[in-house]
Amino acid sequence: MSNTGRQGGLNPVSPEDADRAVLARVSAGELHALDELYERYRTMAYSIAYRMTQDATLAEDVVQEAFLGAWRNAGRYIEGRGSVKTWFLSIVHHRAVDAVRRRRPTTELPEREDMPPQVLTLPDIWPEVAGRLDSTEVHAALSRISQVQRETIELAYFSGLTQQEIAERTGTPLGTVKSRMRLGLLAMRRALVGEDGLGFGREEPRWADR
Amino acid sequence: MIDRHDEVTELTAGFVLGALAPDEERLVREHLAACPEPHAEFTELGGVVPYLAETVEQLEPPASLRDRIMAAAAADLAARSGTSAAPVAGREAPALRQDSATVTAFPSAAERAERTRRRSPLEWVAGIAAVLGIVALGAWNVTLQRDLESTRGYERGLSAVLDVAARPGSQTAILTPESGAGPNGLAAVGPDGCVAIVMRGLAATTGSEVYQAWVIAGEGATPEPIGGFSVGPTGTAVFTADQTPATAGVTLALTREPAPGAVTPTEPIISLGVTPSS
Repeated sequence: MSNTGRQGGLNPVSPEDADRAVLARVSAGELHALDELYERYRTMAYSIAYRMTQDATLAEDVVQEAFLGAWRNAGRYIEGRGSVKTWFLSIVHHRAVDAVRRRRPTTELPEREDMPPQVLTLPDIWPEVAGRLDSTEVHAALSRISQVQRETIELAYFSGLTQQEIAERTGTPLGTVKSRMRLGLLAMRRALVGEDGLGFGREEPRWADR
Repeated sequence: MIDRHDEVTELTAGFVLGALAPDEERLVREHLAACPEPHAEFTELGGVVPYLAETVEQLEPPASLRDRIMAAAAADLAARSGTSAAPVAGREAPALRQDSATVTAFPSAAERAERTRRRSPLEWVAGIAAVLGIVALGAWNVTLQRDLESTRGYERGLSAVLDVAARPGSQTAILTPESGAGPNGLAAVGPDGCVAIVMRGLAATTGSEVYQAWVIAGEGATPEPIGGFSVGPTGTAVFTADQTPATAGVTLALTREPAPGAVTPTEPIISLGVTPSS
């Protein structure tokens, strides 16, 4: 995935490149690089963790686990599989899902490895369009998709519920939940990047990890 | 592979949103790792997901979280370095003045190297757990009011240690008793010889008693006192000293002395740790 589209003449080092440089130092065991990573992503991590757990103590726990996961596994980040930001976000999200599910003892817990596997580090459109979007525009994009799709997506991403549990709790057939998530994500994508796709799918992802 | 292709495709939205049950997630992961067919829908749908994170109300974590994370990482780093430290053959015991009945030899360099080498991963885990455990208390076990004061003192101390540990070229060491449970803590040695130590589980000092910190700087070196401190009923203590002979590959040790200003260490060693060789 190329960053050239984001690099203006005034800004020779993209945020993604700077992130990768910090992560390389984290990988080498530099504590102050971890401190830098923390400065960059503490707000994002804590905000997501709090939104999902609705509990300050649990959210701190999630953020700590996520940063320690990054500290121990920075070497497993693979360039070209997406930005450091997306990689780290996926770690935070997985930790938060685990924390929420652990709080509900009836839910089977995944046999989670220390880190989400690399296939979860999805190539994303972040490097393509993130610089042109702020949260207002993302909210606007979300507001353009149907309310029932948006609610299903938000429930799926933020609640830690499985799609089966969402179906049970909302009294909706599982197939309907699945199609709402899928159509909602597609609609959100169109709202964010337009019908032409703007760089979507240009590169074929290589999923086979090894 | 192909026979499950459609099934996996149907799970895409749930997968990228993290809403699959563990067995479904495993199925997708295993399939993606092996399937020769492209699954472009994962990019298509997954690329949107980071934007959901943008919609969340932005909140700042408490400042203490940084200290806890950095403390845990420093302990992790110290453990990693410790397990990789190789014993140095033929090193002699540091010279000790044997002119007092109360003075006995500190562990020799060889013994210290052996101590570092023989530590099993489990022991290191226990060492880290000791450090992390007290750190975690602050977050998770606030109901244990009787420990709270000591925990807070320890966290404050960790900040001082981390300030040193975060400097380029600094070293960290976990301090533990010679054997078994007991006072333990974390030390950081800066490149300019400054030392910060945080300890917990120390018995309170009485009267003129102090805990004395020592540096055994290297082969044949005399244990050098770098300062002393008293301890209250919480059992936690923070100690800092500047311009000590401490550097990479030194032993830091604590003894309990009847009065400040001891020039030779009194047995037993309360707690000690070795900074990694550079």
